[in-house]
Amino acid sequence: MGKKINKQYQMKENTVLEIEDLSIAFGGLKAVDNLSFDIKEKEIFGLIGPNGAGKTTVFNCITQFYPPDTGTILMKNKNNEVVNLIGQKVHNVIRQGIVRTFQNVELIYELSVIDNLLVGCHIYYKTDIFSQILRLPRANKEERKFRKKAVDILKFVGIEKYKDALVGGLPYGVLKKVELARTLMSDPKLIILDEPAAGLNEQETENLSQLIKDIRDKLNCTIFLVEHDMRLVMGTCDRVCAISFGKLLAIGKAKEIQNNTLVQEAYLGKEDDMNE
Amino acid sequence: METILQILFNSLEKGSIYALAALGIILIIRTSFTVNFAFGRIGMFTAFITVYFMNHILSSIWLGAVVGIISAIVIGLIVDMVVLRHAHKVDIIGKQIVTLGLIIIISGITPLLFGINPFHLPKFINYVGQSDSLTIMNASIEYNGLFTVGIGLIFMVCLFFFIQKTKWGLAVRATASNEPTARLMGVPTKIVTMSAWAIAGAFGALAAIMIAPSVNVKPDMMDSIQVIALIACVLGGFQTFYGPVIGAYLIAFSRNVFTYYISSVWGESLMYVLILLFIVFRPQGLIGKKIVKKV
Amino acid sequence: MKKLSIAQKAYLSYAVFIALMALLPVLAYYDIIQNATVDILSNVVIYGIAALGLNILLGYSGLVSLGTAGFMGLSSYFAAYFTKDLNLPFFLSLLIAVGIPMLIGLLVGLVSLRLEGYYLAIATLGVGEILHKLFLNIDFFGGSTGRKAETPQLLFGLIKLKHYEYNSFNSMFILLIIILGIVMFLTFNIIHSKVGRAFLTMRGSETCAQAMGINLLKYKLEAFAISTLFASVAGVLFAHNLNHTDYQTWTMVTSLNILAIIVIGGMRSIFGTLIGAFIVCADVLFLHYIPISGIDYILRGALIIVIILFYPRGLVNIFHDIKRLFRKFFQRKIGVGNG
Repeated sequence: MGKKINKQYQMKENTVLEIEDLSIAFGGLKAVDNLSFDIKEKEIFGLIGPNGAGKTTVFNCITQFYPPDTGTILMKNKNNEVVNLIGQKVHNVIRQGIVRTFQNVELIYELSVIDNLLVGCHIYYKTDIFSQILRLPRANKEERKFRKKAVDILKFVGIEKYKDALVGGLPYGVLKKVELARTLMSDPKLIILDEPAAGLNEQETENLSQLIKDIRDKLNCTIFLVEHDMRLVMGTCDRVCAISFGKLLAIGKAKEIQNNTLVQEAYLGKEDDMNE
Repeated sequence: METILQILFNSLEKGSIYALAALGIILIIRTSFTVNFAFGRIGMFTAFITVYFMNHILSSIWLGAVVGIISAIVIGLIVDMVVLRHAHKVDIIGKQIVTLGLIIIISGITPLLFGINPFHLPKFINYVGQSDSLTIMNASIEYNGLFTVGIGLIFMVCLFFFIQKTKWGLAVRATASNEPTARLMGVPTKIVTMSAWAIAGAFGALAAIMIAPSVNVKPDMMDSIQVIALIACVLGGFQTFYGPVIGAYLIAFSRNVFTYYISSVWGESLMYVLILLFIVFRPQGLIGKKIVKKV
Repeated sequence: MKKLSIAQKAYLSYAVFIALMALLPVLAYYDIIQNATVDILSNVVIYGIAALGLNILLGYSGLVSLGTAGFMGLSSYFAAYFTKDLNLPFFLSLLIAVGIPMLIGLLVGLVSLRLEGYYLAIATLGVGEILHKLFLNIDFFGGSTGRKAETPQLLFGLIKLKHYEYNSFNSMFILLIIILGIVMFLTFNIIHSKVGRAFLTMRGSETCAQAMGINLLKYKLEAFAISTLFASVAGVLFAHNLNHTDYQTWTMVTSLNILAIIVIGGMRSIFGTLIGAFIVCADVLFLHYIPISGIDYILRGALIIVIILFYPRGLVNIFHDIKRLFRKFFQRKIGVGNG
């Protein structure tokens, strides 16, 4: 039934994600307030804002962890059908082609790097639990196929040498890359990165910036990121959206946003405030 | 009317015992972050001590009970200081297995010290004037039962007054809400945990001594009470100290209602099933707010 | 020679282990070891199987259950009833006796979607308690006398297993260890497949699991199904091994014992679980050397506590530590020699 309704939605050409009038309140507090923006195909789109502006909440609404109070979130999925993400099961969102990373790296510390990547293509495993448990040849074949894919992605991200290392003992910068590599396992259309540069040093941030661009260019992904680190945002993003207290401040090219007075006020406070 | 009143009297008596046990368990859960599965066995052991002192040294149930309660406090302190304080590297589940170890140790010591025969423990109050029970509208409650209800209430009121109104009570609440922060703020969490074990031990001893006249003093005397107390904690919710108490009285009442009106065979099991269903629909228990998970 | 894969290595080690275990009843037959030793080890195998199931549930999926004994008990009664009263063949009886607890296990799995931590632990304890009450109160379960079972006959009575009798080969033990071998093999496969990875992801972070497309409902149910399956198989074997089952065995303490097995042995380790089962179920073998009578029970509790305090991550790490100790020792020796 859900699908029939979805068919009626229309999206602009060249857009992947369209968010309209998104609102969500926790108790009396409006975390996101009538927010609208869209993300174009093969774009690197940044979402910035001061602490507590509701950035991560926007992510959580898109990925359906929090059901929003009002609004629509339209997405052109892998088959180029327009779907409304609202009301989808959380674990089905990835099937539409959206995959995310987390603010605090969420990897499985008991598993090796490559096994962590295999979790990323969980949805592509076709064999049933019985062939898995009995290790039938088709389950083995499938496993080998995905392992090969994982190795390719590790090569692409540049961390192949850690392939069999346990995630538990690796440095933070590598963990961030493992998480990014895991998103690639699901052949995503839209990758959502929650503060990818947090905890990285300058060199690592620069590498990451290049890697994000590579992913966009070579793997045809659209990237949507929340970030505090302005160097990364300014150096990587095509367009940036600034929000404060859940409300939209401005959308535009990175440079424009940087010079926008509203945005500066949100970050630094109004001049009146300072004088008081 | 008569039967329902009788059920009510009976439930109040049993409920007080369950409530004491539930309080003992929730105190340790909140301050020590362990489900103390050895709670019932410690209570059982102190009931044996009570019987021993009553029979051989003091020849009074009252003095015997005092010795029993003091020994329970000492056992509680020993358990905390000797074992659990050194278990900070152990995860939550490991700590619970430690209490399983305690069960086994206590079950091993008991027959060594007291033999293998069950003992009878008399009631505190047998007769007031000529009769052994108070009758109201054809429903009766033994004076000893009234005493149980009264003692239970007094101890619980004291504990709640202590927790809500005193500086040390504040320390207990702070530890319960966030142990590391409380410790950093200078709350002596070690002493809080230690006293929680002592008080829990005392409550366990009380519950055991009060149930003893009806079940005899034997190794498994507290097993079903402990299970009921645990379920009372879940039913009432872990977030408050009074939730489990309400849960305990509620279980005592519905257990009697179910076994009397529905089936003496299936009644109790049916009640547990209903409680489980209730928890599924209200995981935070009767009292308590839902905690929103942060992503 | 071709290098063995991880799976092949594991299978080989299990096969060797099972083969070595199979020697035990032979040794007992020729009176080299005592028959009683084999009987005690039968318990290790039975509880080890149940613990392997709990290990998948707790160690891998992060879901705790204190109802294991209840499920074991339930299937033990069914096994007794089907084989003794209905004369069903062993394997058919096994299939049905295992199926019914599994259905209840699935229901508990539904509960686990809403409850976690202590709440789930006590809710499952409640399930175990309900079953315990039913065992005692319902006629079918034989009340306090329990139910009688028999040592199974396989292949329409062609093979009649035996145990416990004087001067006979304990062939029941062979059945036990073959089933243990199968369970070890299945456990390995589960934890090294997408199912095992999904379990671990769920344990680490439910939000992350959902974001990766893992259906929590499905995998929690699967985890509970697998763990009750293993527990029920263990229950069936219990009934046939003792030829008897009654309510006194299936209590909270038994559930805690099974939990103790995996905590002591080491979570997420197959051989660790078996080490734990040995410590918990076969401690008599080394505790009976202590001359003071009655003290073995106390030592057993103390042993559990000491192991947990010193090896909070499980005894399976002891090999690693011994290796390190050796290395240290030899290095110092070399150092002294040089000096």
